[in-house]
Amino acid sequence: MQIIISNSSKEPIYEQITNQIKSSILAGELEEGTAIPSMRKLAKDLQISVITTKRAYEELEKAGFIYSIVGKGSFVAEQNLELMKEKKLKVIEEQLNSVITNSREIGLSLNELQDLLKILYEE
Amino acid sequence: MFNLIRRDLILQKRQLLIFAPFVCFFIFMNSHPALIFLIASVFIPLNTYAYDEKAETNILLNSLPYTRKEIIASRYVGAVVYMVLSIGFSSLALFIFNKPFTVTDMAIGSSLFLLFAALTFPLFYILKPGYISTVVIIGFIVTVILFQAAENFLAQHLTAITEFVTGLSTTTLYAGSAVAVLTLYAVSWIISSVIYFRKAF
Amino acid sequence: MENVVELNNVSKSFKGFSIDHMDLQVKKGFVTGFIGANGAGKSTTIKMMMNLLRPDNGEVKILGLDYETHEKAIKERIGFVYDGNVFFEGLNLKDIKRIVAPAYKSWDHSLFAQYVEQFELPLNKPIKTFSKGMQMKVSLAIALSHHAELIIMDEPTAGLDPIFRRELLDLLQELMVDGERTIFFSTHITTDLDRIADYIAFIQNGELIFNQSIHEVAENYALVKGGMELLDRDTEKSFVHVHRAPTGFEALTDNISAVKNTFGNEVIIERASLEDIMYYVKGGKNVV
Repeated sequence: MQIIISNSSKEPIYEQITNQIKSSILAGELEEGTAIPSMRKLAKDLQISVITTKRAYEELEKAGFIYSIVGKGSFVAEQNLELMKEKKLKVIEEQLNSVITNSREIGLSLNELQDLLKILYEE
Repeated sequence: MFNLIRRDLILQKRQLLIFAPFVCFFIFMNSHPALIFLIASVFIPLNTYAYDEKAETNILLNSLPYTRKEIIASRYVGAVVYMVLSIGFSSLALFIFNKPFTVTDMAIGSSLFLLFAALTFPLFYILKPGYISTVVIIGFIVTVILFQAAENFLAQHLTAITEFVTGLSTTTLYAGSAVAVLTLYAVSWIISSVIYFRKAF
Repeated sequence: MENVVELNNVSKSFKGFSIDHMDLQVKKGFVTGFIGANGAGKSTTIKMMMNLLRPDNGEVKILGLDYETHEKAIKERIGFVYDGNVFFEGLNLKDIKRIVAPAYKSWDHSLFAQYVEQFELPLNKPIKTFSKGMQMKVSLAIALSHHAELIIMDEPTAGLDPIFRRELLDLLQELMVDGERTIFFSTHITTDLDRIADYIAFIQNGELIFNQSIHEVAENYALVKGGMELLDRDTEKSFVHVHRAPTGFEALTDNISAVKNTFGNEVIIERASLEDIMYYVKGGKNVV
């Protein structure tokens, strides 16, 4: 598992960790059931305090990305793909809305926009 | 506690090398055997205090799993243990060099040592570090001078004292002095414990 | 969460300095950094934890035990690292081990040998010839060789060069992996703590200002920068201390949401470092 921490980032370190683990899970790099390092081991590897990784793991657990078994460690949780899809769809909708707004501003017609999307999609 | 007593030997490895020549020096000087026993007995405890007056030593000992009671006890028990060993060694040396000595000399030497220890040990816990060794060394020299003065005094005023002493039986005299010295030693032990218990490092 | 150290309502007074009714808890399995200026009371507090000093009032509990009845049991489980060398400086490490090892029931000879090798400590040279960093490593090797559960360190990094400091931090971090050890670490070099501290206890003039997790500290304290015209008696209430300059003010707040409410986007709010906090708190609350 690769995690890169920036000490000069405005984003708190625990958030950097949660975000990177989240994206590894979403990208399928960390599969369901995979054991992730204990928070103490991760703290040592990243040269940060234990409480930081503890907080990161707590947030990940709360968001349902990982689960912990006392004495065994932490594992990647099963992801609810339907829910994830729905969320993604919402994001796409929002992004498309801004595309439409932008298109209207410069007078791009629906047909032209569809053509453009088709070219980009099939690329 | 045994460890605390044994510690003195490890600490004083080098000093112990001069212990034998030190004792032999006094033997060749034809010092009184009782005085030799006293000097030999004082050697190790005095060296121990040279270390123990340092703040660092007290911080170390008190950070290790020892109680303050044990630390003081180790001093008092240790002094007796090393006294016995030193007197044993000195007797052997006197015997080898064919110098006569009596059990009375041993008794006087050890009594004087215990008296000296009883009076000086608590000082180590009262006085500030740095002054203690000086005070005790001066104290010791004064004791030795007084001892010799007392000898002269005894020689001069022997009659009055002998009259008093002969009035007592030898056993009573010895037993009485022994009890007096031991009581003083015990009181000194208690005083040191109380002072040490309240000390901050 | 389990507390390894508990000071309850502890007071101790000296001429011109006192600790009044201090409560301090140190949590098991974490590193607590103990910060404060020189003379703030760090050493006095540590001495009370070690029973080198008795409080005038209050209760000191270590590993759930008190010194009155369990002094030996407590010290058996504490490792100590002091600022200066406390070992007999004329002795070599071998002799020091011969004096110290028998004091502990749980002394582990092979572990000691392992640390001596890892720290590259010479066994036959007198301690006084050791550098400050090496002397510190001696203390640490001894503390670790009897499986201490609580390691109390008084200014262990003072006078160490940066490379040595880093090595120490690496080592301490390794110790924390199994979760059984607790470290209480006093320092006035706050950057040492950025990497390893989980909790920060801050003492000032004998008073514990706070004892919080690093997240709480980051969420509670912030630096606020803005134009002088924003300051008045009311708006200043949310600041611990304000530094004024012709170019604008910089202030420390312990109430970020109040600052956000009052000033909105007119000020810049930045993370306050431990050093910022120490510096501004020293100035006192609302001192102009």
